[in-house]
Amino acid sequence: MKRAKLEIMRDILSIVRDNHNSIKITPLIRKSNLSSQRFKEYYGELSEKKFIIEIINKNGKVISLTERGHRFLEKYKTIVSFIEEFEL
Amino acid sequence: MMIVSPTFFATLGMDMLYSFVIIVTSLMVYFGTKELYELSNHKGIKYFRLAFLSFAIAYFFRLLIKFLLLSLNIRELMELSTQLIGVVSLWLFMYFSAMSIFYLLYSVMWKRWSGKDFILYIFHALAFVIGLIVTFTPSAKLYLLINLFLFLFVIVIVLFSYIDSKKKKKGINLYGIYLLLFAFWIINITDILIPSFLQTYQLLIYAISIGIFLAILYKVLRKCGGS
Repeated sequence: MKRAKLEIMRDILSIVRDNHNSIKITPLIRKSNLSSQRFKEYYGELSEKKFIIEIINKNGKVISLTERGHRFLEKYKTIVSFIEEFEL
Repeated sequence: MMIVSPTFFATLGMDMLYSFVIIVTSLMVYFGTKELYELSNHKGIKYFRLAFLSFAIAYFFRLLIKFLLLSLNIRELMELSTQLIGVVSLWLFMYFSAMSIFYLLYSVMWKRWSGKDFILYIFHALAFVIGLIVTFTPSAKLYLLINLFLFLFVIVIVLFSYIDSKKKKKGINLYGIYLLLFAFWIINITDILIPSFLQTYQLLIYAISIGIFLAILYKVLRKCGGS
């Protein structure tokens, strides 16, 4: 259950990163393959954890990864492998 | 004036070295997994870390008790219960010893016990009561009985968990280390509660206990890369 949650967080953050670290909310919802309700929950959690930030540029309001968000993506495999190793 | 024998320094020195290694190893596990927890907020990692923090605290109080027993030349643990520092140290030692094992169990079982948060409160209450019983009951047989009961309880849960995980994958490696850890936790507690009981094998017990902690630290550092 928790694994799936971490995976979804990784997927959302990867979408942002792979879009030159700048994506509008509507395409992000579409690409994340989540219902708007579930997306809202994850979006809230990612913002709360300061993994993503809303910024305004020439395209309007976009979502971007923070340093912490990049760090999560870097460490994702380590986290999952640690959880599996210790059966947590 | 207290007469200090060379045996006092030798025994205390060995205990200090032993406790120091276990405390440092436990704290390395705790701080080495800090970033993984902060990034993931994973419950399993949280309780795994708390288990090792509890081990570090328990071993600190274990050393304090050993120091008190040696410096006051006390042979029976019950004599320690007449002094406030003895009572507090003994209770804290037993509480954190029990909690370290309960946290480790919970870190492996939390998914199966999902939605049953009261189990953790039961563990706290159990650790609290075990601390009280050991601190205020002058019976070596009772200590052994409590430890035996706890060990059987842990074995049953770990075995169920192992059988369950075997259906999916994995080997005996991790569960083997955990069972050894639980066994030596009991032996370490027995060693402090009934000082004369395992005196002959003390060096061997210390060496194996350190080996188990270092094996876990090695697994943690290999996975975390010392983050």
